[in-house]
Amino acid sequence: MTQHSQRSGINRRQLIKGLGAASLLPLVGGVTPFAIGGQHAGKVVVVGGGFGGATAAKYLKRANPAIEVILVEPAETFYTCPFSNLHLGGLRSMDEIAHGYDELQDRYGVRVIHARAEDVDAAAHKVTLSTGSELDYDRLLLSPGIDIRWNALEGYDEAAAEKAPHAWKAGSQTEKLRAQLEAMEDGGTFVMVAPENPFRCPPGPYERASLVANYLAQYKPKSKVLILDAKDNFSKQGLFMEGWEQLYGDRIEWVGLSNDGRVTRVDAERLEVETEFGTVHKADVLNVIPPQKAGWIAERAGVTDDSGWVPVKPETFESQQVEDIYVIGDATVAAPMPKSGFCANAQAKVVAAAIAASLESRPAPEAYWTNTCYSLVGPEYGISVAGVYRVVDGAIAEVEGSGGVSPTGAPSATRALEAQYAVGWYNAICQDTWGTQT
Amino acid sequence: MKRFFRRAAAPVLGVLLFGGIAAKSLAEPSFSSEQVDLMAAACANCHGTDGRLVGSVPALAGRPAEVLEARLLAFKHEEQSDTTIMDRIAKGFTDEELAALAAHFAAIDPDGDDDSQAEQEPQE
Ligand SMILES: Cc1cc2nc3c(=O)[nH]c(=O)nc-3n(C[C@H](O)[C@H](O)[C@H](O)COP(=O)(O)OP(=O)(O)OC[C@H]3O[C@@H](n4cnc5c(N)ncnc54)[C@H](O)[C@@H]3O)c2cc1C
Ligand code: HEC
Repeated sequence: MTQHSQRSGINRRQLIKGLGAASLLPLVGGVTPFAIGGQHAGKVVVVGGGFGGATAAKYLKRANPAIEVILVEPAETFYTCPFSNLHLGGLRSMDEIAHGYDELQDRYGVRVIHARAEDVDAAAHKVTLSTGSELDYDRLLLSPGIDIRWNALEGYDEAAAEKAPHAWKAGSQTEKLRAQLEAMEDGGTFVMVAPENPFRCPPGPYERASLVANYLAQYKPKSKVLILDAKDNFSKQGLFMEGWEQLYGDRIEWVGLSNDGRVTRVDAERLEVETEFGTVHKADVLNVIPPQKAGWIAERAGVTDDSGWVPVKPETFESQQVEDIYVIGDATVAAPMPKSGFCANAQAKVVAAAIAASLESRPAPEAYWTNTCYSLVGPEYGISVAGVYRVVDGAIAEVEGSGGVSPTGAPSATRALEAQYAVGWYNAICQDTWGTQT
Repeated sequence: MKRFFRRAAAPVLGVLLFGGIAAKSLAEPSFSSEQVDLMAAACANCHGTDGRLVGSVPALAGRPAEVLEARLLAFKHEEQSDTTIMDRIAKGFTDEELAALAAHFAAIDPDGDDDSQAEQEPQE
């Protein structure tokens, strides 16, 4: 493929090629436990088959097919949060945001186990699964996404989420919120509670408000969207507000922190929320996007810090606290990279290269990450924010002059083009992650 | 913030522009294939794995390196008006990196349903 000279002397692939197929042991059941000369190429257990984990499993196999890769993920079907706001807005079915694990197993030889990782014994290099079995590993990679910090917002616990869905993990929560929105009478108010930073998908709440407003404009024209926000600024704010005004007039009302937007108590039974200074808002549909933390298995593995998130070494995304455990995606502290599916996918490739290199006791290649978060203000109105990142002086930094947001005041043709590219992006990242397209 | 100069020994990139099409880079490539693979993987979440996906975002695999390189440099240096996002992305890479990326994608067979890495997997 590439004719580039090899910095580190012998290229592993050339080596495999040179030895010829005959010198390699035959494959058993899609798993390749041994590499050259019967030597163990290493065993990697990946926990979580979302944007980070599924991508990492694939790219580990691409880096070195001899590495044994085991992916642990309870769900057989993964529903993406990206484009779940389109489902809420009635513009996409759940099937069109559903992905599976066939490509990883059949084409790449990843062993996929549908179970939950229950515990990690870092000293013994073992993971315990919900099935009761144990997996040992040379390297463990966690991409467990987020968990909700139940009760961090008074009144918001698991029972409350049945009445006032968060829909911040896609699946049944998304369907529940959609059903409530469909059942809402015209003239009702959709109230969204938005959290402070950091949280999964910084522009996500505002894209959701947009696509809910788009639905209401068409089907329940007397209804409104009220966003109660714990922040004074949000991602792509100028672009969202410009779009809202153009497309929805005053249908969307945003109340920021300084205007008493911070919700401090939720009464899911009565669909009421109370703000910091005591204002009570009554909702017809209540969507609470609560405070979050790293998926709990990260805590079990001992890689989280007091913030509830996971500090990592920037070059490799290895845990700063526990050796041989790597963590990527929403669970990590990776600012200025946002908690996006795009970043989880980008981090997965860097971590796959780093793990493949470490198993051969080589230094990891230099890390490159990009991010782009597309948001749909309307079905034909797309905006984006992009960034390119590297490690500078031991920390992740945005490359100067790169990235930024779509221009304000752009013609509608540009917004329409970006909406098309958003769909192109969705198809590409899902193809790149699970090999499936919807 | 500090600039990203690669290895000091990196050769000077000689890109000649003829009517908007860059001549093939005269530079000796200075990145390992592992390094270029990783750099190029950052493009896959919009252009598909190995830049092969055909959709609203254009495919990259198998396109002439000169064309890809010229487009990338034009995005970066704001000489391209039909861009929504690539200008913001190309600015994150040095000219030399963009040349290496162009050569990487040009060398990929657009029709092969194989995987550029997995194809060398002996057991497949
Ligand atoms: C409404 C909304 C819209 C969004 N839109 C976008 C967008 O347009 N673009 C974008 O880039 N991002 C978007 N995001 C963000 C994106 O969804 C996340 O950043 C991304 O999913 C993070 O990937 P991850 O691998 O960290 O976690 P996830 O993708 O959530 O994957 C985690 C996986 O780990 C599994 N898991 C957890 N614990 C265990 C365990 N103990 N054992 C086994 N498996 C476990 C879970 O089942 C899950 O499948 C959006 C998010 C939301 C909520
Ligand atoms: C966020 C999505 C996204 C990412 C990431 C991305 N591209 Fe693009 N690319 C696009 C879009 C969209 C276009 C169409 C031009 C535009 O609107 O900017 C494009 C166009 C191009 C073109 C011009 C193709 C043609 O037919 O003229 C090249 C070359 C290219 N990209 C290379 C790359 C490389 C190399 C990378 C990785 C460093 C990359 N792209 C990363 C979205 C992306």
